[in-house]
Amino acid sequence: MKKTNLDEINRNIYDIKNKDDYEFKIKKGLTKEIVEEISKRKNEPGWMKEIRLKAVDVYESLELPTWGPDLSELDMNDIATYVKPKTNLSNSWDDVPDDIKNTFDKLGIPEAEKKSLAGVGAQYDSEVVYHSMKEELIKQGVIYTDMETAVREYPEIVKEHFMKCVPVHDHKFVALHAAVWSGGSFVYVPKNVKVDIPLQSYFRLNSPESGQFEHTLIIVDEGASLHFIEGCSAPKYNKVNLHAGCVELYVKDNASLRYSTIENWSKNMLNLNTKKAIVGKNAKMEWVSGSFGSKISMLYPMSILNGENSKTEFTGISFAGGGQNLDNGFKVVHNAKNTSSVVNAKSISKNGGKCTYRSLVRINENASNSKSSVSCESLMLDDISVSDTIPVNDIRTDNVEFSHEAKIGKLSDKTIFYLMSRGISEEDAKAMIVRGFAYPISKELPVEYAVEMNNLINLELEGAIG
Amino acid sequence: MSDMILNETPVRTSRNFNINNTKIDYEKIKKYLNVKTEFKNVKVINENKNVLIDENVKSVDNPYGISKELDDNIKNFSNNKKRIVISEKNNNPIEFGFKFDNNNTSLASNINIIANKNSEATVIFKYTSDKDIECFHNKVLNIEANNNSKLNIIIVNFLNQNSINLLSIQNDIKENAKVNYTIIDFGGKTSITNYYSNLVEKESKNDIDTIYLGSQEQFFDLNYIAHLRGEKCEVNIEVEGALKDKSKKHFKGTIDFVKGSKKAKGNENDSCVLLSKESKSISLPMLLCSEEDVEGNHSSSAGKIGDKELFYIMSRGFDKKEAMKLIVRAKFNNILEKLEDETLRKDILDEIDNKLS
Repeated sequence: MKKTNLDEINRNIYDIKNKDDYEFKIKKGLTKEIVEEISKRKNEPGWMKEIRLKAVDVYESLELPTWGPDLSELDMNDIATYVKPKTNLSNSWDDVPDDIKNTFDKLGIPEAEKKSLAGVGAQYDSEVVYHSMKEELIKQGVIYTDMETAVREYPEIVKEHFMKCVPVHDHKFVALHAAVWSGGSFVYVPKNVKVDIPLQSYFRLNSPESGQFEHTLIIVDEGASLHFIEGCSAPKYNKVNLHAGCVELYVKDNASLRYSTIENWSKNMLNLNTKKAIVGKNAKMEWVSGSFGSKISMLYPMSILNGENSKTEFTGISFAGGGQNLDNGFKVVHNAKNTSSVVNAKSISKNGGKCTYRSLVRINENASNSKSSVSCESLMLDDISVSDTIPVNDIRTDNVEFSHEAKIGKLSDKTIFYLMSRGISEEDAKAMIVRGFAYPISKELPVEYAVEMNNLINLELEGAIG
Repeated sequence: MSDMILNETPVRTSRNFNINNTKIDYEKIKKYLNVKTEFKNVKVINENKNVLIDENVKSVDNPYGISKELDDNIKNFSNNKKRIVISEKNNNPIEFGFKFDNNNTSLASNINIIANKNSEATVIFKYTSDKDIECFHNKVLNIEANNNSKLNIIIVNFLNQNSINLLSIQNDIKENAKVNYTIIDFGGKTSITNYYSNLVEKESKNDIDTIYLGSQEQFFDLNYIAHLRGEKCEVNIEVEGALKDKSKKHFKGTIDFVKGSKKAKGNENDSCVLLSKESKSISLPMLLCSEEDVEGNHSSSAGKIGDKELFYIMSRGFDKKEAMKLIVRAKFNNILEKLEDETLRKDILDEIDNKLS
């Protein structure tokens, strides 16, 4: 079979680089002086500076993970943790500088805002440059703003929730995040308010040899509901960039939250992100995740089912091409009676890429009558790629229903033959099967994002199948 | 008190998941190490001219094993060595019965089995003990299955619950050779198994059927690793278990499709019935894949006996305990019915009844 592998595919819009033009870029490395400087520039209250400084100590006391991808190429002395773009936060696209606005235009963010979103936030390097929300949601008491504004204007809510769902000592990169975090979104949905149209934050890292450490804090109060979409991308540089964001989600009693991510970082990015949700009584937390970019990704969203009858679902796909090592998965802890979790994870490896599904299902002693069902499928598109499945299932009580199944395989020759016998070319037949494989995930996204995901799949498949 | 780290998984995952390895208190086992007194209570049944049994064991390096220190201990201080060389086809199973008593409390056993080309045999290892003694069993079993050979290995652990049972197994399986294991793991307060199969050549096959049954505070740590290297080779791991009282089990299964193992197949299934609120089961069924043209599947399940099943049987006049026994026996039956030895099968069923009474 003839193969037409290309070393570098054109990732078109995602790879557009702007000039590294900033108002301020902090010196590289991580020290208490650097952290103090970030805090000073943000004019933060003392309690936040204190969290940052303590986190530096925690960072220094923790080791790198002894498992997963090799992170030895990451040298914090080569990473600038704070880059302020040449603009301030605006709520009108007209006020955003042209080069930055053009980038978001090409990514389709303002267009999507008009058509299908209730609110948009856009972060460029370390700061949020645009934030807006529909008037009617403001009237209902919904708060959607950048984290810095939230620290200033809603200090009590932030103090109560910031780094509480994800504790600073969780792992080394959480501590790093707490020390240098900048930007991100804060959302509060008041009791019984249903936000029917999604909110979206888009994170773009343009500056080379730098990191993005945005903090997302979402509180969906009792009986409320929200769909939040997160998008990420960056152009490719020769040296590594680092993304160590943190997402803390509080889904209170009877509330529901869907958190969708389309991650398309450039292939020099180390994506060491942490996402966690605490789910209350009768509440529901849904994760939808598409992971396409990054050189290395270690990302395991987690649901902690603390309330009786709470539910969580995870639907995710990873697509690793040449030079990529995507170590992704999901963690769930059942911590109350009658809780349930459903996991549907898929991965595709090609051109020497490596996908790992790593997970934890823990059903604690107090979680009787709980159910968990996990399914993961991996597709290998050639014989130079790698696909691993490393799930841990920790069941600590008897009155549960737990099942896990996984399979690894290649594209079915029979299916390819069937499609070809209907007049479809071999290349199209294979692409069709891959899109079908990804369909259970893309169907969970709003149509615009499903289209974006399919485009990304086409982009990734270009030159890989033949 | 110092802990010895044992039974490391071939690939690590997060330390917080508590599954990468297991620990044993070194102080508890050190008195059993380096024992030179021969273990005499061994009975061999069905010795025959096609099977050579001597003490010319060779020490084979194991890339995994329970721990280097314990494997080395066997190499240097084994008090029971057996080399079993099989030629021709043997119809009658060869059985080794090891009985622990007051004079035989520590067994460091080094066993090699070599199945010559086209040979066939069933070898049974059965471990029993007097009731109230403390026993220590550390065994290294190395198997070389040459072309077209067929081996059935049955290991039955009926040790009492004051005992420690440690088992390191390594198999080298050549072209078109088939090695089947049945491991009945009922005994020991702590029972740790490290199982490594190297399916080196094409069309080699390895089936592993395991049954464990835990009660009181028993702990089982099973670490099964299969490297599929040859074309069209196949491994099937089936682990069935039940846990009552405060018993606990870790199952770590790794099927690794190494590059070149085209058209290989690997399946693993781990199914655990939890018979009490305090029993615990952790499983880590890993699939590692560096070859495109393979089929890999794993499944894992845990839960209590279904109320409907229980109700159905109880409505036939059985009390709850009897109904549970029947269901556990039925669950294990898929594996037990493959055993040809009627007496052995009856012994196992009796032991299930004892443990569930």
